[in-house]
Amino acid sequence: MEPCRQVPVAFTINGRAVSLEVAADETALHVIRDRLLLKGTKEGCGIGECGACTIVVDGKAVNACLMLAAQLQGRNIMTVEGLIEKHELSVLQKAFLEDHAVQCGFCTPGMLMSSCALLKDKPRPDKGDIVDAISGNLCRCTGYQQVVGAIQDAARRLFGEKA
Amino acid sequence: MNMKEIKKIGRNWLRRDAAEKLRGNPVFCADLTLENPLTLKVLRSTHAHARIKRIDVDRASRTQGIARIFTAADIPGKNLAGIINKDHPLLVPDKVRHVGDAIALVAAETETAAERALQAIQVTYEDLPVIRDPEEALKEDAPRIHETGNLLFTRKIKRGEVERAFDDCAVVVEKTYRTSFLEHAYLEPDAGAGYVAADGTLVIYASTQNPHYDHGEVASLLGVAHEKVRIIQAATGGGFGSKLDLNTQGFIGLALYYLGRPVRYVYSREESFLATAKRHPLTITIKTGTDSQGRLMAMRARILCDTGAYGSYGIAVASRAAVHATGPYEVPNVDIEALCVYTNNPFAGAMRGFGAPQAAFAFESQMDLLAGELGISPLEMRRQNALREGSFTGTGQKLTASVGIRDCLNAVKPFYERVMEKWRHDPAPTFKKRGVGLGAMWYGIGNTGLQNPSTAQIEMDPEGSVTLYTGCADIGQGSTTVLSQIAGEMLGLSPGAIRAVVADTKYTTDAGATSASRQTYISGNAVKDAAGKLVEILLTEASNLLKRPKESLIVDSGLIRDKNDPEKTVPVTDIVRRAHEKGLSLKCQGSFDPVTEPLDPETGQGVPYATYAFACHLAQVTVDVLTGEVEVNRIVAAHDVGKAINPAGVIGQIYGGVAMGIGFGLMERYVPGRTVSLNDYDIPTCKDMPDIVPIVVESAEPTGPYGAKGVGEPALIPTAPAVLNAISDALGERIYTLPANLERVLEAAVAAGVFPGSHGVKQPA
Repeated sequence: MEPCRQVPVAFTINGRAVSLEVAADETALHVIRDRLLLKGTKEGCGIGECGACTIVVDGKAVNACLMLAAQLQGRNIMTVEGLIEKHELSVLQKAFLEDHAVQCGFCTPGMLMSSCALLKDKPRPDKGDIVDAISGNLCRCTGYQQVVGAIQDAARRLFGEKA
Repeated sequence: MNMKEIKKIGRNWLRRDAAEKLRGNPVFCADLTLENPLTLKVLRSTHAHARIKRIDVDRASRTQGIARIFTAADIPGKNLAGIINKDHPLLVPDKVRHVGDAIALVAAETETAAERALQAIQVTYEDLPVIRDPEEALKEDAPRIHETGNLLFTRKIKRGEVERAFDDCAVVVEKTYRTSFLEHAYLEPDAGAGYVAADGTLVIYASTQNPHYDHGEVASLLGVAHEKVRIIQAATGGGFGSKLDLNTQGFIGLALYYLGRPVRYVYSREESFLATAKRHPLTITIKTGTDSQGRLMAMRARILCDTGAYGSYGIAVASRAAVHATGPYEVPNVDIEALCVYTNNPFAGAMRGFGAPQAAFAFESQMDLLAGELGISPLEMRRQNALREGSFTGTGQKLTASVGIRDCLNAVKPFYERVMEKWRHDPAPTFKKRGVGLGAMWYGIGNTGLQNPSTAQIEMDPEGSVTLYTGCADIGQGSTTVLSQIAGEMLGLSPGAIRAVVADTKYTTDAGATSASRQTYISGNAVKDAAGKLVEILLTEASNLLKRPKESLIVDSGLIRDKNDPEKTVPVTDIVRRAHEKGLSLKCQGSFDPVTEPLDPETGQGVPYATYAFACHLAQVTVDVLTGEVEVNRIVAAHDVGKAINPAGVIGQIYGGVAMGIGFGLMERYVPGRTVSLNDYDIPTCKDMPDIVPIVVESAEPTGPYGAKGVGEPALIPTAPAVLNAISDALGERIYTLPANLERVLEAAVAAGVFPGSHGVKQPA
């Protein structure tokens, strides 16, 4: 088997500029977890079905397992590690904690990323918007109720009551 | 104890492990960083039943980057695992019994090298006849999958005179119900990692529900002393029963034993689907009879459990399905037989409920059919037959306390009456039909008629800080938080102030499996016992010092004080110092083992469980008769948990259980040989979820910690029966096979004559 061609990429991740050589067939998920050692982004299926690897790319929620590393070029990336504010949990993370939205926690980073992208796009989402936003994130533990509640709470805390 | 003094129990405590997971810290096995680790991969059988004539690893061993390839001949100890019956080789020596059986283990420098080596290993198979159907497997001339024969286990329960009772019944219904293989589909694919410590100990990080079982099993596979192996449960991303079996632990142990280098093994989702346990498909033929008033008089059931290639927890599943087949009702005459049978299907093991969810689908469908024949409401049918204090179960157990099924039915009653009166009759959109259904259940907490002890330790250091040691694996359900609450309550400390050392076999003792909804009840009691002993020592010392009777003293927030005289206090640290000076140990051992009686092998009479949880769900559904789509609009879920130690956790279990129950009822089906990954196995998404109204019923269990029982599995069990009964109510036609997917619902709609093309139904203009 021929080694895959290497491609140079430069992008920003959690506010940090990164440039590296990636293999042409390497996924963004692989770069994030195994090259940059950001282990918060999880691999649950590798085929874009479960959403555990969701990251935010230029404000949009994306499955990192379906994105080639080469496509990171010039993008602004956020992973779960980028949510922390001055070593403290962000408002969204605190809402997940306080509303009991975490059980096993494996889907949690992906859920956080999908809701983070939602709240950037739509600060006052209704329940339908939230359900839409996390409908690609599978969770086997929570039945989603406390997750939806946490996102509603976070939106209220960040942007006030829905108009 | 005066209830007013209880401050840590029954309050919502934040989950102790949530913050690090929210931060994205590397807590799961696949996240661990090891120095220069080897990657492990297993070559798995592509044949369902075959003798292995030859395994040629020569060419594969010479490929680049291969450290070593192992086969069964390399296993130094006993090459058989299994928690109940040991029939499952780590690497098969001579024969494969299902597609996915492990044949060879590759240790390689990289993932790619491992993949290349797998392709280069040559296996010569000699095919044997494949048995997919458990009925076929039971035939006398069927090929034997194991040398001991294809019938693994039979559980019989006989009580009263069933035939005579049927003769006297006014109404008798007999039907056959079928369920499918299911995949647990926890979000974290199985994974493990390990290294050899400086003292030679093999240290294995595992995604597991039972580290102490893993410990014994790995030591046995390797033929080494227990002290040579240490299992540490990493954060475990769900288990639901599958992570009770070994997944990667044995392979990691084997590689560490020979190679001494750090290793890691992370299953792909496809390998997790192929190689791990499934839920048993059950075929349940059940005959139930009542008198003219609707009182249950007799039940006969034959239950066939397909355990696939290996036993895993199959015996427990068959046993539990038999015990639970009556439902939470009094049935004076029963004759139940459950058979657990080997086939060449994927092996089936524990999955949330151990056969009780399948049994509930059958007995709750029967309840509605009988109610229909009798012309009484499904709710009344259940209320008048529900178990109560003083009732005898099918195994002849007299229930003496904490029988909350009536409370659950009563909690659902106002919702039921309201929706039956209005919602059900409100005009539904064209081609849509509304239905309402009930599902009730009971669930014995802990192992069936077997000892299942837990142990724990509580230690107070000289500064008065407390450490809880428990072998109880928290797999996301929140047991560490609950156990900390119990310890905190006993010691007058905030649960968060208690250091918890959890599920590490070096520092903790056996708490048994995180299964059978047993940890709050059993390990909760063990922790309470340990903490109680520590309190006893502290109060005895304080009593001497304060010259007050021990009974009037309490421990609270670092002080020991007299309840009747708030001035009389002494800091706990003073007492600890005195105790240390006297040479008293402040590390106390606790234990608990629920009182059960083994079931008689012929009659099944005995006391299988010390206590039972109860529940009733109400389902409202809307069925689209054009597409077969079922929308679950609302589930009202009443659960008798004894006492909710952490109510938010209990409610979280109910929500999650309802989701899994909807999957079981409507969409989930693992087809051996066809289902490969999450691409072709649907579990409920956020969009499939109804409104859920959780109702916590607390019928205190006298032997439970603060009255608690369990909720993990009960949460799932009533949902599918309630949904199926609601579909039947909507269509006027019943579905007897799960899941009730689009095709089956459409078939039922056609059979009921409500499908628009059906004869006699007028299409709306």
